Amino acid sequence: MEKTRILLVDDEDAFRISLGKRLATRNLGVLQAANGEQCLAVLDEEPVDVVILDVKMPGMDGIETLHHIKKRHASTEVIMLTGHATTQDGIEGIRSGAFDFLTKPVEFEHLLGKISQAHERVRRIKAEKQEAAFRAQMELQMIVTERMAALAMATGVAHEINNPLAIIQESAGWMRQILGKADLETFPRRKDFEKALGKIDGAVDRASRITRQLLEAVKSQETLVVEVDLEALAKETMGLVRHEARKRNIRITLAPQQTGAKALTDPYHLRQVLLNLLSNAIHATGPDGEIMIHLQANGTEADISVQDWGCGIPKENMEKIFEPFFSTKSASEGTGLGLYVTQKIIKKLGGLIAVESQPGRGTTFHVKLPARNIQAK
Amino acid sequence: MIKIPARILLVDDEEDFVEMLSLRLQEVGEKVVEAYSGQECLEKLKETDIDVVILDVKMPGMDGIETLQEIKKHYPLVEVIMLTGHGTTKTAVEGMKLGAFDYLLKPADFDDLTQKLEEARKRKDAHQERIRRAEVRLLVRRTGEI
Repeated sequence: MEKTRILLVDDEDAFRISLGKRLATRNLGVLQAANGEQCLAVLDEEPVDVVILDVKMPGMDGIETLHHIKKRHASTEVIMLTGHATTQDGIEGIRSGAFDFLTKPVEFEHLLGKISQAHERVRRIKAEKQEAAFRAQMELQMIVTERMAALAMATGVAHEINNPLAIIQESAGWMRQILGKADLETFPRRKDFEKALGKIDGAVDRASRITRQLLEAVKSQETLVVEVDLEALAKETMGLVRHEARKRNIRITLAPQQTGAKALTDPYHLRQVLLNLLSNAIHATGPDGEIMIHLQANGTEADISVQDWGCGIPKENMEKIFEPFFSTKSASEGTGLGLYVTQKIIKKLGGLIAVESQPGRGTTFHVKLPARNIQAK
Repeated sequence: MIKIPARILLVDDEEDFVEMLSLRLQEVGEKVVEAYSGQECLEKLKETDIDVVILDVKMPGMDGIETLQEIKKHYPLVEVIMLTGHGTTKTAVEGMKLGAFDYLLKPADFDDLTQKLEEARKRKDAHQERIRRAEVRLLVRRTGEI
């Protein structure tokens, strides 16, 4: 189990430093701050598990600091330290979200016990969140699997139905042939038979059209190869994410324009790829950020790249990002299938996908595709 | 126009379908032999002279493609029309690359089928005619040398 990390916040330097030393000997990671502002500054740099917070401090007092902590680091637990005269503050602290409060002078073992309990709560809530996220992802996967199974069943049915349909058609057709023969010219109610058989023929036609449509729908995973105006496609995709971008006040620009860049590819699949990349870029970019789409084409190759100035991809993840189910998003935000599927699509289109990234600076995804006059595979 | 009966071999594991299509084809004057599997198809080809095989793509045991390859190996002049109940025309096109004359989706339009049968039979006839002429030329050359 990892060391519990705590932050001691108290304006009484001597008290704080000596308590800090004692706590450090008990295998706790101890950070210190002399007042509310320092406390928040430290937490922004290095979050901890438990904050031990003096109620009475000059400047930002304990309760105000507590509010800020709970707002910006909700999972951090806070234990308030109150003086005798300020137990009321302790109670208010608990109402505002503190884990508990202790009255000074603090009994050391008692404090240790409380820290341990508080950390336990942090761990427990984290585990619950992970389980919920895991379950949500499982459910999503089950939905996908169910959908695929339902589709497989539907196509199985369609295949099966074509056989009896063929039999009905041949049987009715044979009857019509016989009725059409010269020796059956005077067959009683021949016209009525022919009429009914005509209806059967028409109905079989309709039924087989339905099964054919169903099987075609499944087949639409197939790729087209047509000349695609990349600028138009990029603008169309930008329009699709406009709402999401605007919500975070992120600006997406396309540069340069009017290059006439074209590629020989499948517009629907390419749009899906661009959508994926733009969506990722939006998630990586903070509010008021910017994203740029670059288009480039020479005679043989077209290059679309999506550049963001967001959080970047850490080196250890760079190799893994194209693996299925790899995701840094929570389960509700994504299934981790995005880049894996994107890469498969690009490969199928005869292209390449590449990525450059610097953690903290940003990321650029490049999609290279065959341009016109080159046959895509 | 005089109808020249084609000698047709129907191959499909769906017995009812084979029966009804056979009756229909006979009604328009064709000569029809039936088989219900790839194996049976090859046996019938050994026993009888056939012009065109109508072959179902999906069969248990030896499937359509395998059967097609065997037909083309042992009876290269026999034309094969593939019938696929699949939505996948992929297999049928694969068959055509392996030598099938053409393909139709099940349930197939009877007029389409008879038209293709006619074309296939004509192609076989034309090829056999060229063989006959080539054999005659061979004979003449031999006698010429004597």
